[in-house]
Amino acid sequence: MTALAAPAGVAPAGVPPAPAGSAARRRRRRSLVVLAVLAAAFCYLLAEGLGNSLDYYDTVGQALAHRATLGSSTFRLEGIVLPHSVRRTDRGADFSVGEGRSSITVHNTGSPPQLFRVGLPVIVVGHFAGGSAVFESDQIMVKHSANYTPVPSRDRMPPSTAPTR
Amino acid sequence: MSPALRRGIGVAALVSTAATVWLGLWVTPPSTQQGNLVRLVYLHPAIAWDALYVAFGLSAVCSLLYLWRRTRSLFWDRLAAASVEVGVVFNALTLVTGSIWGRPTWGVWWTWDARLTSTALLLVLFLGYLALRRVPAEPEVRARRCAVAALVAFVDVPIVHFSVNWWQTLHQNATVLNADLSPRIHGSMAWTLLLSFVALTLAFVWMVTVRYRIEVMRDQVGEEELEVSLAERWAEAELTGAPPVPAPGPSPEAEVSPAVPAGERAGSGR
Repeated sequence: MTALAAPAGVAPAGVPPAPAGSAARRRRRRSLVVLAVLAAAFCYLLAEGLGNSLDYYDTVGQALAHRATLGSSTFRLEGIVLPHSVRRTDRGADFSVGEGRSSITVHNTGSPPQLFRVGLPVIVVGHFAGGSAVFESDQIMVKHSANYTPVPSRDRMPPSTAPTR
Repeated sequence: MSPALRRGIGVAALVSTAATVWLGLWVTPPSTQQGNLVRLVYLHPAIAWDALYVAFGLSAVCSLLYLWRRTRSLFWDRLAAASVEVGVVFNALTLVTGSIWGRPTWGVWWTWDARLTSTALLLVLFLGYLALRRVPAEPEVRARRCAVAALVAFVDVPIVHFSVNWWQTLHQNATVLNADLSPRIHGSMAWTLLLSFVALTLAFVWMVTVRYRIEVMRDQVGEEELEVSLAERWAEAELTGAPPVPAPGPSPEAEVSPAVPAGERAGSGR
């Protein structure tokens, strides 16, 4: 039994060198590669996060206040879709977003998402058009709330929201 | 845990999940803002709850208990590993179901807001934990290393939770666990939401108990493999000139009677 402790080098010629050791080395190398890939993914997500999420959008008030510095750079603009402002166009839709008493006219290319509605806050991605106060966007994101209120039972079954039953 | 109890939890998870599906799809009403899309509220939050608070919370507690000298035991290490593995699956499902919900409601599959980004970071962090477990090391070394890694990764959990309050996000605030603790959901919708949390927590517990057993068995197999391969090399060293044993893996006969041809060995067992 004492010979069990014999070092790997004792093995006779022709026997493959310590299989357990090389397998462990291979496993080690493979897991280090996986860790490196994950570290790269982590850095990428962190960079994107720090670049985007800390200052995710400007409200209408902020955008108007910083219009000069914003120039024609692309940013996300948040505001509530104002009543009587929505007009479908060939490119998509024109509407105004507001915050308090200030508002910005938006010209959007592409059709708005399903939940787009007057009175809901939206985030539009785009830029001020050539020094004017018109915001040209190519993406609308609807910012719905965390409140879940049931549709009153008499109003059920609108065509777009027919229940599964 | 006794097999009967484990089976009981599994059955309870199945029944409560089935009840959630029935209530969520047929009994609860559509909502004013989202119509039928609101039904995803009975899936996505409960999955996120499982991943963040139950799975990663449990793994953090287990890691602390392992690091604390008085409670140090490989039991905590294995439980943490089982919990993280299930948690990673739920974390990935959180991102997938959130994406599926986001496309029709927000209009995008993905956006770089703080909630989404920190949740994706959480997945990568705990995938790192699982990769770290695969780095060969002594069980105690690995356990200590992984316990520290789990605690470091867990730092992101409160960041995910508060991201919607700390930064501007597209993702909405908490419906139930909000600052003033007044739920923004009522009636059958609230009960179904609660049931979905119970159902998926039961599913998590069942999965972790199964996964824990696998972890124990894996450690046992690891030890046996080590003994077998030692014994094999031993036999090779003694029988100089004998043909080397070709296949690695458990073949204890090779140690007992290496001179007997393979065919006869196979026949003798029957």
